[in-house]
Amino acid sequence: MTAQQNPVTYARAIQAALTTIVTPVPVYATFNRNFATEPKFVTWMLRNIHQPVYTGIYQSVKGIDTPVFQISIFTQVIEDGFTISNQILQSLHGYSGLFGGATYGIQISKADVQWLYNTYDNDEKLGQVILDCTLDIPT
Amino acid sequence: MALPTKILPGFSATLYAQPSATPTPLTTANLSVLGSVSPLAISGNLVPVEAIPAFGQDDAVASFMVAGSRQSDKIPVQSAPTSMSITAAWNPSDTVLLLLRADAYNGTIDRTYVIAATDGTNTIYYAFNGRVSQWTIDAAPGAEAKVNFTIHPRGNQYGWSNTV
Repeated sequence: MTAQQNPVTYARAIQAALTTIVTPVPVYATFNRNFATEPKFVTWMLRNIHQPVYTGIYQSVKGIDTPVFQISIFTQVIEDGFTISNQILQSLHGYSGLFGGATYGIQISKADVQWLYNTYDNDEKLGQVILDCTLDIPT
Repeated sequence: MALPTKILPGFSATLYAQPSATPTPLTTANLSVLGSVSPLAISGNLVPVEAIPAFGQDDAVASFMVAGSRQSDKIPVQSAPTSMSITAAWNPSDTVLLLLRADAYNGTIDRTYVIAATDGTNTIYYAFNGRVSQWTIDAAPGAEAKVNFTIHPRGNQYGWSNTV
């Protein structure tokens, strides 16, 4: 019997986990232009929280939750962005266990990181690396 | 309330299993009696299946040929209720799945199963007695682990009923 988990729980865990991985680089849940004065920082966005729904009249007949969050790394020096992306890859890709530390952590079966692409924003004068991370959460 | 008079969506069907490790299955007559079947169709007896497979009766025919005759004859015979291959999301502690796992281990436990399909107001029930065979865990990565099993109905032991 599966309950739909609260997205707030995921958001707290993601914030805590990324903060731990890339410290002392700051991590923000959403992008704020004021932060663009910083030489490097990381933002994330949560999307696609979804449990497959199965047959019958009961709401609890569902599969596991597999949310995806996008990690955006902003850096004034492009190489810094690649370095931070590697930190995240090494820590997160294939990780299984308590995700997000003691306070906000949740148990995950697997984190699957996909390194999507890098780009450059001429207005912000910031290089960017974009990664996707899928969490498999036993529920 | 009565028999649903609408085309039902596939996901409206639910499978239930009679409780207890040593159940007494319903009699063939009672498998068609709403008052006997509907008490089994409660959330505590829910089997968490992904999708209800085809249910009902198998095709059954006897055919014979006569020498010199151009065509054989096909004679419908009483057809057995169809076996159901079921995939369920696997929670190792799910009490109903544990009952069915024990049935598969034993091999000779008869249990009453009920499929209920509803339009939201009216419900039709298909009830049958069967034994569980096969019990495999499919732990393919990328989704939840699944348990696959087959319910083989006992011959002639099934019935239809509906809300009245």
